[in-house]
Amino acid sequence: MTPQDITKLIVRTSMKDRAAFDLLYRQTSAKLFGVCLRVLNDRGDAEEALQEVFVKIWTKADRFAVSDLSPISWLVAIARNHAIDRVRARRKPAADIDAALEVADPAPGPEAMVVAGDESVRIHHCLEELEKDRAAAVRGAYLKGESYAELAERHGVPLNTMRTWLRRSLMKLRECLER
Amino acid sequence: MTLAEDNGPERGGDELFAAEYVLGVLPAEERQIASRRVDTDTDFARLVDGWEVRLSPLASAYAEVEPPASVKAAVDRRLFASTAATPAEARAGLWSSLAFWRGLAVAAVAALALYIAVPYVNRPAEQPQARLVASLAADGSDVKYLAVYDSERHDVSLSHVSGTLASGKDFELWMIEGKNAPVSMGVIPAGATAHIGVSPATQQKLAQGAVLAVSLEPAGGSPTGQPTGPVVAAGDLKGI
Repeated sequence: MTPQDITKLIVRTSMKDRAAFDLLYRQTSAKLFGVCLRVLNDRGDAEEALQEVFVKIWTKADRFAVSDLSPISWLVAIARNHAIDRVRARRKPAADIDAALEVADPAPGPEAMVVAGDESVRIHHCLEELEKDRAAAVRGAYLKGESYAELAERHGVPLNTMRTWLRRSLMKLRECLER
Repeated sequence: MTLAEDNGPERGGDELFAAEYVLGVLPAEERQIASRRVDTDTDFARLVDGWEVRLSPLASAYAEVEPPASVKAAVDRRLFASTAATPAEARAGLWSSLAFWRGLAVAAVAALALYIAVPYVNRPAEQPQARLVASLAADGSDVKYLAVYDSERHDVSLSHVSGTLASGKDFELWMIEGKNAPVSMGVIPAGATAHIGVSPATQQKLAQGAVLAVSLEPAGGSPTGQPTGPVVAAGDLKGI
């Protein structure tokens, strides 16, 4: 499916076309489930989140028209935001499977970057300009939805320090991407 | 000091708040504040969208994992279990959605203007500027359709909002341009939604904003090439 095809499915979903919605689910649910699993780290939780994500997609599909995001990025953003809200609402993070995955946030290899295209190469290049642990914190925060508090604890720095790190990193990142 | 207090303009204010929201690091209460602002504050929503665009390449690191079939079944139960919604409810849903659409189109034009003005955002525009909408209705008839003409796909999509069809009859869709005789666009297939392809000659007239009308015809459509039954719904196409 091309991005144009996904766009059509989203637009038809906004017109309450169930067949389009079913096809959209078939085409994108694996990616969105991957997002929910990564953030929530719990299968049952991720399955419930995915349900809620597709309910949102059905009811909010018309908002796609005002976004600058590519269709798949728009869907991923819905899933990510929902999963992060859900994980934040949880009392204690289901921390420990996570520790095992901790190593697994390296920058993608050159092949993956070629496949992902220019935009992707650029952001990874810009992340490289940051100090290593800060780049890792940005990636970890994005992919796993870690909070300032969790990041501060893991990196062994005060919360305010972590916030300053990440805010500076974000501004540097933007400056690099706009260069 | 809370995170919110630190969001004054001197610290980058909304720009940073949007970035932190998208990155996902904020605590629950601040995420709620941010998400409410996305719904109510266009400028803030645009900042958030900008950060979603900037960071979106990172999402390529998410692996695809096939969810169990029970998830889709649960989604369908939640959305469609009470499919026996009353016509009034169904109508309210569609009309409010149409109103929302029009509002969105205004925002889409604004977004497009921004897109043109900001050279580093280089992504093809996918705004639905090639789409026209008509709500088809008539006095003394409960037949209502929502029609959307997509000039790129050359088709008219029809959502059947209300009104039943007697057996042995069909609804037929017509295009009326100025004072000319109606041109048949075909019998409307039964169902909640239907698509009708548009011939090149008709495409041009639709693009200029013709009137669409639905008439009640014998099964299979008008035998004469002109409407033979009452017009049960009509409306003009407008840009959204």
